Amino acid sequence: MNVATGPSATAASLEARPPAPVELSGVSRWYGNVVAVNEVSFRLEPGVTGLLGPNGAGKSTLLHLIAGLLAPSAGSVTISGRSAFGDPGVYREIGLVPERETVYSFLTGREFLEANAKLQGLPDPASAAQRAIAEVELTDAQDRPLGGYSKGMRQRAKVAAAFVHDPRILLLDEPFNGMDPRQRLHTMGFLRRLAEEGRTILFSSHILEEVERVADRVLVVIAGRLAASGDFRAIRRLMTDRPHTFTLRSSNDRRLAAQLVGEPFVTGVTLEDGLLVARAADFGAFSRAVAARAREADVTLYEVLPTDESLESVFSYLVRG
Amino acid sequence: MNAVIARITLRQLLSRRRTLLLVALSAVVVLVAILRRLSPSGADAKFTADLLSTLGIATLMPLVALIFGTGAIGAELEEGTAVYILAKPIRRWVVVATKLVIAVGCSIALTSLPILVAGIMAGGDGSGRLAIGFAVASAIGSALYCAIFVALSLVTSRAFIWGLGYVLVWEGFLAGLFTGTRTLSVREHTLAFAQALANPAANVFKADLPLGTAVVVAAVVAVVAVTIALRRLARIEIAGEIV
Repeated sequence: MNVATGPSATAASLEARPPAPVELSGVSRWYGNVVAVNEVSFRLEPGVTGLLGPNGAGKSTLLHLIAGLLAPSAGSVTISGRSAFGDPGVYREIGLVPERETVYSFLTGREFLEANAKLQGLPDPASAAQRAIAEVELTDAQDRPLGGYSKGMRQRAKVAAAFVHDPRILLLDEPFNGMDPRQRLHTMGFLRRLAEEGRTILFSSHILEEVERVADRVLVVIAGRLAASGDFRAIRRLMTDRPHTFTLRSSNDRRLAAQLVGEPFVTGVTLEDGLLVARAADFGAFSRAVAARAREADVTLYEVLPTDESLESVFSYLVRG
Repeated sequence: MNAVIARITLRQLLSRRRTLLLVALSAVVVLVAILRRLSPSGADAKFTADLLSTLGIATLMPLVALIFGTGAIGAELEEGTAVYILAKPIRRWVVVATKLVIAVGCSIALTSLPILVAGIMAGGDGSGRLAIGFAVASAIGSALYCAIFVALSLVTSRAFIWGLGYVLVWEGFLAGLFTGTRTLSVREHTLAFAQALANPAANVFKADLPLGTAVVVAAVVAVVAVTIALRRLARIEIAGEIV
C-alpha cells in the first residue's frame, strides 16, 4: 500500500517541517504483549480527517495518545510541537469528545458546559457555555440533568463541552453515536464549519458514510498500523491491483462497449439489465479515454459513474488486504 | 484547590445511594448514645468512651472514609467521567488536593460530627472533653484514612476491596492478634490521639499504641500516601480500546 505513511522515511521528512497542529512520529503503544498501535507516523493539518478502522484496530488508542491521555511506548506525539502527554497546557488547544457515554448525570446541561468553561479558565464561562449550547441546539434542554438526556443529546453535550473553549484541535471519538439523522447532519455541518475556520479536526467513526460526508482526508488503521492516509478517492485510485468499476449510460451502449473493450487498461465490459459496466485497471486512463472513444463511435455519453469509489469500497478493500 | 472540581466531587460523593447508608450509620451512633442516656443505667463515661471508640472510631470512621476516599477519584476513573477533569489545563496535584480535601471534609462531617454529638448526648463525667477529644482524633484519623484510600484508588481499580480488607483483616483481626501490626493501624493511631486529647478529663480507656509512635507513623503514612497519589495521578493514563 504505497499511500501508507512509512515510519522511518516519514519521521525524517517530518523533522524538516514546522510543527503541525498534530504530529505523530513512529508512535507505538503496547499493553503487555498486545500491540495496540504499531509505528504510526502522520501529521494533521487544518481540516477534517476521518479515522477509520474495524473494531479493535487502535482508533481510540490513537485518539487517546493524541489527547495526551496515554503515553506512547515508543515514538512521539506532539501538539503544535509540544509533547501531548504530561503537559496539561496542551488542553487549551485540544477539545476532546471521549467515546464513553458517561457524563456527570447530576449536572444539568448548562452546569456541565459552564463547569467545562471554568475548568478551561475562560473569562466569561456563562457566555461561552451559552454559545456552545446554542451551537448544538440544546438550549431548551439546558436546565435538565444530563442523566435525563437521550444518548444523542448527551453526545451533543459532549461535543459542546469539547469546543466550549474554542480549541484549535478537536478530537472526537465516534461523535455521531446515538444522534438521529437530523442531529447528525447538523453536527456534520457544524464540524465542517469549524474546519473551514482553520481548525484541525480528527474524528473516528465506523459509519463510512459519515466520514465520506465530513472528512477531507482519512486515516485508515488496521491492526494498529496505519494502512493508508490521504484523500480516500486518491487512495482508491492508487490501488492499481484492483480494477475500478464504472457504470455508463449512452445513446448506444453496445457500440460503446465494443469500442472500450479494445483498450489495454479495460479489463472487462458487461451489459447487464441494460446497464453498461466497465472495469478498468487505470482509473485516470479510463476517465480520459472514455469520452474520446465514445466520440469515435459516434455515441452520446449520458452518464459515467465510478461505482466503487465509495469509502466503504476503499475500506473493505484495505481491510481485506 | 479548584472550586469547580470541589463542587463536582462533593455532588458526586453525596448523590450516591451509599451516602444515605452512611448517614444512617452516623445516626445510629447518636441514637445509641441517646438511648443509653435515657435508660435506667444513665450516663456513664466508661460507656461513652467505649461507644465512641468501638462504634465511632472502629466502625463508622473507616467505613465513611473508605467510601469517600475511594469514591473521590477512583469512581470517576472507573466511570469514565475523570476525562472531563483530567483533559483540562489544570495541574494534576490541584486535582488530587481538591479531591482529597473534599473526601476528608465529607468524612469529618459524617464521622466527627456524630461522634461529638454522641459523646455529649451519652454524657458521663468529663463527657464534654471526651466528646471533643474523640471528635478531633477522628478528624485526624479520617484525613489519614482518606489519604490512604485516595492513593489506593489510584493504584488499583479494586481499591474498595483492598481498603475493606485492610480495615477488616489488618485492623480488625491481625491487630488483635499481633501487637506489632497495630503500628500500621490508623484505628490505633486515632485511639492514641483520642487518649491524649480526652483522657485528662476522664481516665476511662487506654490506647494500645504510644502517642509518639502514633504521631510519627501517622505522619509518615500520610506523606507516603499523598506522594503516591500525586505521582500516580500525574502519570495516570486513560486507555482507549485495546485490541
